[in-house]
Amino acid sequence: MPGSGKSDDRRLGFKASQEVVVVAISVVLFLVFSATLNNFLSQGNIIAILKNVSILGTLAVGMGFVVVGRGIDLTMVAVMVVGVAFSIWISTWGIDFTLAVICGAILVAAIGLFTGVMVAIAEVPPIFATLAIASSVYGSGRIVFASDVLYAPPDIAWLKFVGNGNVLGIPMSVVIFGAVAALMGLFLRKTRFGRLVYATGDNPNAARTTGLPTRPIIVTQYVVSALIAFTAGIIMTGLVTGIDTRLYNSSLIYDVLLVVVLGGIGLSGGQGGVRNVIAGTILVGILTNGMTILNFSYTSQNLIKSVILLGALAIDAIINPRDEQTSQSGDI
Amino acid sequence: MKLFKKCLLAGMTALAFLGAAQVASAQETDQVGRAAYLDGVKGKKVIFVPISQGMDLNQAWVMVWQRHAARYGFTLEVRDPNGDTNAGIRAMQGAIAEKPDLIIVQNPDVQTYARLLKQAQAAGIKVLQVNMQSATQTDSYVGNDWIEMGRLEMGELAKHCTGPNAVSHKVVWLAGVQTGAANIYMRTGIDEVLKANPELQLVSDQPADYISEKARQITETVLQQHPDLCGIMGIWDNAEVGAGAAVAAAGKQDQVTIVTNGAGAATGCESIKNGLLDVIFNFNAPIQGEIAAQQISELLQHPDRKAGSEKTIFFGPITRVDKTNATGRNCWKPEDIK
Repeated sequence: MPGSGKSDDRRLGFKASQEVVVVAISVVLFLVFSATLNNFLSQGNIIAILKNVSILGTLAVGMGFVVVGRGIDLTMVAVMVVGVAFSIWISTWGIDFTLAVICGAILVAAIGLFTGVMVAIAEVPPIFATLAIASSVYGSGRIVFASDVLYAPPDIAWLKFVGNGNVLGIPMSVVIFGAVAALMGLFLRKTRFGRLVYATGDNPNAARTTGLPTRPIIVTQYVVSALIAFTAGIIMTGLVTGIDTRLYNSSLIYDVLLVVVLGGIGLSGGQGGVRNVIAGTILVGILTNGMTILNFSYTSQNLIKSVILLGALAIDAIINPRDEQTSQSGDI
Repeated sequence: MKLFKKCLLAGMTALAFLGAAQVASAQETDQVGRAAYLDGVKGKKVIFVPISQGMDLNQAWVMVWQRHAARYGFTLEVRDPNGDTNAGIRAMQGAIAEKPDLIIVQNPDVQTYARLLKQAQAAGIKVLQVNMQSATQTDSYVGNDWIEMGRLEMGELAKHCTGPNAVSHKVVWLAGVQTGAANIYMRTGIDEVLKANPELQLVSDQPADYISEKARQITETVLQQHPDLCGIMGIWDNAEVGAGAAVAAAGKQDQVTIVTNGAGAATGCESIKNGLLDVIFNFNAPIQGEIAAQQISELLQHPDRKAGSEKTIFFGPITRVDKTNATGRNCWKPEDIK
C-alpha cells in the first residue's frame, strides 16, 4: 500500500520533497513579508491569515479526502451555497433555524449520496459527474431561491458565536477548520476505513479484485465531502451574516483544487493527506494576505495564483510520472 | 297654445342639443392619443439580457416592466445568463437574430457587448442599456450617474476623514469588477474628490468582486495593516456587509465609516440597523425601473425612428440613506412592488 509510504521509499522521498517545497516557499514568503511589510508579523495579522483561509481550508480538507481516493468533487461550492441557502430559505417559513440547518445537512448528504452513486455504481468519471451535478444543484437552487444573497435570521446565538466567537483567543472559524482537519487526519491515518481509501485511490481495480468494498468507500467519500462543504458554508454564514450563492460562479472551487494539488496530494490518488492540505492552505493564505497588503491588482493576484497552480501541476507530473498503470486506469 | 308650442320647440331643441352633446362626449372619453399609444406598443417584442436575475435591482426592474407589459400588451422575455459572460454573449447573439423591437441590456463590463450592440443597432433593433453601460452608446441609457456616485461616496468619507477630529485620513475603496462600467466611472468621481482633498490617503484599492466574504477578507487584512482606518467605500450593499462584519469583529464600528450604494432593498436597511453599514446611496431600483419603462414606451412608440439615430440618457434618483431615514420608500421589499 504505497499510501502508507513504507513499501516505496523512492516515492516517499519525492513526496516529502514536494511538501517540503511548499513549506519552504511559505517560509520564504513569510520571512520576506515579515521583513518588508509593517504589521505582517503581528498576532492580529497571523490570526487574520488563518481566519481568511478557514473556509478555503475546510473545503480543501473535503476535496483532499476525495482526491486521495482518486476522485474529484467539483460539487463542493454548489453544495455549500445551496445547502446553506436552503436552510435559510426554509427558516423563513417559520421553522427554527437550528432545525433548518439540520434539514440542510440532510439535503446535502443526500446530494453527496447521489454523486457517490453516480461515480461508484453508474461509473461516470468523477470530473464529469460532479461537474454536471454541481450545475444542476446550483441551477435548482437558483430557481427555488429567487435571490442570490440570502441573509440568516439575525438573532441566532450559536451562529453569531461561529462568526465572532473565540476559544482561547482563536476565532471559532479557525477552530472549526482545525477540528475538521484533525478529525480527517485521524480518520485517514488511524482507521481501517481510512487505509482502504488510500488502497482504492492507489489502484481501484486491484482494490476491488482483492475484495475491498470500493463502491461503498467511494460513496462515503462524496457524502463526507458534501457535509464538509456544508460546514464551510455555515462558517461563512456566521462570518458575513448570509450566503451569496453567486460564489458558485467564482473561482473558489479552483482555489480549493489549487490548495489540494499545491499541498502535494496527487490527482492520481492514493497519496498525501491532511498535512498536505494544511501546507497548501497556509501558502495560499500567506500569499493572498501579502498581495492584499501590497495592494496588488485583482488581475495580477490571479496571475500569480495561476502560475503557482501551473507550477504545482508540473511538479506533480514530474513527481508522479504517468506510467502504464495510470494510463490504463485514467488520471482522475 | 302658442306658448305651449314654443315650450315644446324649446324643449325639443334642448333635447336635441343634449343628445348631440352626449354623442360628442362619448367620442371624447377616449383619452387623447391613447389608441395610438396602445397601437404602438401592443404585440411588440422586448428582450432583456441582464447580468444576473438573482440581484435585488434586477428583480425590481423586471417586476415593474412585466406589469407594464401585461397592461399594454407587449411581451418581455428575460434571457438570464446568470453571471456567465459567455452565456451572455450567446444570449445577445440569439436576441439579435430574433429581431425584436427592443433589446434591454445590463452590461457586465464596457467591452464584452460593445460590438454586439453596434450589430443590433445596424440590424435596426433599438437598444436600451440599464445601469451598466457599454463603450457603445445606443438609443438610451437609464441608470446611475456613476461618476456622481463615486463623488458622493468618497465625498461622504471626506466629511468624516479630513479635518482635525478625524481618526486618520486613511480610506479604502472596495471595488466590484474592475472592468465594469460602475467601477470605471466611480473611480473617476473618486479621483476628483481625492484630488480636492489631498490629505485623504487611499490605502487599499482591491476588488471584492461583489462577494461579501471577499470584502470581509480584504477588510480584515487591511484593518490589521491600518488599525486607525477611518473609512471604507464600496459598490454594492450586499457585498459591503462583509466589510461591516470585519469592522464589527475588530470592534471598530464607531471608528470606521462604511459607505456604499445599493438598490434600496429592505436588506440594505437591515444592514444599516444592524450597524454593519453606515450610509447607503440608494438608487431606488423600482423608480429606476419606472424610468426605464417610460423609455421602453418611448422607443416602441416610434418604430419609424431609425435605431441609434437619437441617443438619450436618463440618470435615476440617488438618495442618501442612513440610520435616520432607513424606512419606507427607501427600503422596498419585492412584495411591495407587485
